[in-house]
Amino acid sequence: MTQIALHNINKHFGAFHVINNVSLTVEDTEFVVFLGQSGCGKTTTLRAIAGLETIDSGEILIGGKPVQDTRVEERDVAFVFQNFALYPHLTVFENMAFPLRAVRTPKAQVETTVRRVADVLQIGGLLNRRPSALSGGDLQRVAIGRALVRNPKAMLMDEPIGSLDAKLREEMRVELKRLHVEQGSTTIYVTHDQIEAMALADRIVVMHAGVLQQVGAPEDVYANPVNLFVAQFVGSPVMNVADVTLAEDAGGARVTVAGATQGFAFPSALLGQVAATGPANRPLTLGVRPEAVRLTLQPAPGAVATEAHIIEPLGSHDIVDFRIGDATLRARTKAGFVPGPGVPVWVTLDHSRAHLFDTATGQTLGIRL
Amino acid sequence: MAAVRTRGEVIRHRLSVTAVLVILLITLAPIFWITATAFKPRNLATTMPPTVFFEPEISPFVKLFTKRSQLREPPTEEVYNAAPWWEKTVFDGGEKVVRSGRGEVQPSGYPSRFLNSLIVAITSTVLAVSMGTITAYGFSRFKVKGEDDWLFFILSTRMLPPVVVAIPMFLMYRAVGLNDTHLGLIILYTAFNLSFSVWLMKGFIDEIPKEYEDAALVDGYTRMQAFFKIVLPEAATGIAATAVFCFITAWNEYAFALIMTNRRAQTAPPFIPSQVGSGLPDWTVIAAGTFLFLLPVAIFTFLLRNHLLRGMSFGAIRK
Ligand SMILES: Nc1ncnc2c1ncn2[C@@H]1O[C@H](COP(=O)(O)OP(=O)(O)OP(=O)(O)O)[C@@H](O)[C@H]1O
Ligand SMILES: [Mg+2]
Repeated sequence: MTQIALHNINKHFGAFHVINNVSLTVEDTEFVVFLGQSGCGKTTTLRAIAGLETIDSGEILIGGKPVQDTRVEERDVAFVFQNFALYPHLTVFENMAFPLRAVRTPKAQVETTVRRVADVLQIGGLLNRRPSALSGGDLQRVAIGRALVRNPKAMLMDEPIGSLDAKLREEMRVELKRLHVEQGSTTIYVTHDQIEAMALADRIVVMHAGVLQQVGAPEDVYANPVNLFVAQFVGSPVMNVADVTLAEDAGGARVTVAGATQGFAFPSALLGQVAATGPANRPLTLGVRPEAVRLTLQPAPGAVATEAHIIEPLGSHDIVDFRIGDATLRARTKAGFVPGPGVPVWVTLDHSRAHLFDTATGQTLGIRL
Repeated sequence: MAAVRTRGEVIRHRLSVTAVLVILLITLAPIFWITATAFKPRNLATTMPPTVFFEPEISPFVKLFTKRSQLREPPTEEVYNAAPWWEKTVFDGGEKVVRSGRGEVQPSGYPSRFLNSLIVAITSTVLAVSMGTITAYGFSRFKVKGEDDWLFFILSTRMLPPVVVAIPMFLMYRAVGLNDTHLGLIILYTAFNLSFSVWLMKGFIDEIPKEYEDAALVDGYTRMQAFFKIVLPEAATGIAATAVFCFITAWNEYAFALIMTNRRAQTAPPFIPSQVGSGLPDWTVIAAGTFLFLLPVAIFTFLLRNHLLRGMSFGAIRK
């Protein structure tokens, strides 16, 4: 049973606030992914949990015990480093046996444990090689193997597959998931690749500038981003955003993109929900994922007319760019739906999947239609 | 491996090989001459024009290791025949080996000087490299207040030519009784080499990713264990390179050895030329002494050559 809890942890590098009042609880056997841009403090947070960095304030609990003042070697966590950190002067076997030797494991047991883990990871044939003679994928397996031999309380992984090529990354992603299901150790995994995060996580933690933005199941973070940062960071292609004005119109609501002549018709319930959060005439931003944008080739009631601009054929579907007012929006369509650039199209939005954000604060208004 | 070469590259390659050969010839010539002289009979060492082809003999080495005196008259046939082969070579040169009353051969000063050189150079190298490595590790891995100033200070100890402080050092050493002791020279050479060792090792340790130690710490090792199990093996190349440089410096040091020592702790460099002064100069003996003196550095460097080559490029090339 290993729960990891962070209570209001803070960390500065000089005047720079790297970890800003982070609180989070990772449950036993949970797989949590830290997702964020480069430099947002993911690695630092992970290193703080492992004890490789001291924190300025707050509490870190591993298995219920406060550990912020204990030393690294006493925390009993495993860490997979971004650059693997395999020792070049040791063979694969010795690299994997290294953590076992720290606790003076009997020789025979070292042998069997390393071989068992190596078999699980399918690197049994590489045990006598040096790290320099391994491919990227094998290095990564060895690095994970070194973390697994010890049965640690928790696994901390810092972009373990970030340096692999796309195909291998996909394979390793599946393998990591399988391993986690088999081993069930509490895992915190760092990445800046949102697809990886969606694929692996029980829960995603989105970080930005040292602050936790949103914590939730991948579907939830995807469907209901709490602010503009999360909205635009999670999901590919990125969520459409546009500055809009809101008006009452013929018994319904009208959402008009800045600079556009026509607006999107919305149910009147929108007006009430916006009013409940603050003045309706403050600057608002509309957010809508490309798959919630519908295009038709014929005029439709309440649809906004425009023309297709760029079409990206992606095989299974197309991404179609078009302009409305000052904004460029994108829609996801069936492959070949829009025959070519310059074709007139009519745009409607899926109201239930549209989001409104307060432009000034970036926070969602929490509209539900 | 064989990359495709253009005609221009082939010509340039040949030119550079020629240049290397010429440089090699120039640098190896004195070493060849010393070696040749070490195996010459005395009368061929100073001929004009120089003798290049001769029958090599071992007599210079016999003379190097024994105490001798001039023969006033040739040895009797009986004495000559009774002498071992090596002693005959001395008789042939017009000298005789000095024996004690009980007939034991008296050694010259060379073996003990050579031993002194070994003791002083090895000990000071071990000290300079180990202290340098630990210091460099500290500077490389921990926040040290005024780190740059400290490092500059350490480097600055090398800016003054050491000979400048020879007289004050001599007076201080005499005051504390360190002159003509092994310890005195060891301290001196360690101090010379330490700044160099710290700087060189810092470069090497900086290149070892910090994550290696982090990984060891996470795996349950203490920092001390991580240092010995990870940092030292990873820094082996740097340690080897540093050790060679320190050893060469200590081994070849002349000025301080000349001033600070005279008998007990005297090293080979001041001793070898001092033989010129006693009696008629015998250049073959000096050459033999020099030849043997060159060997340890050559052997040491040869043993560490792989590390050394890697070390040179390792420290020099930065990503
Ligand atoms: N030892 C340090 N001293 C000073 N600043 C540091 C130190 N380590 C990291 N930083 C800074 O702290 C910020 C967060 O670093 P961190 O490594 O945690 O980012 P990250 O989210 O892991 O980024 P990446 O995705 O690039 O690995 C960065 O701006 C970095 O420059
Ligand atoms: Mg990082």
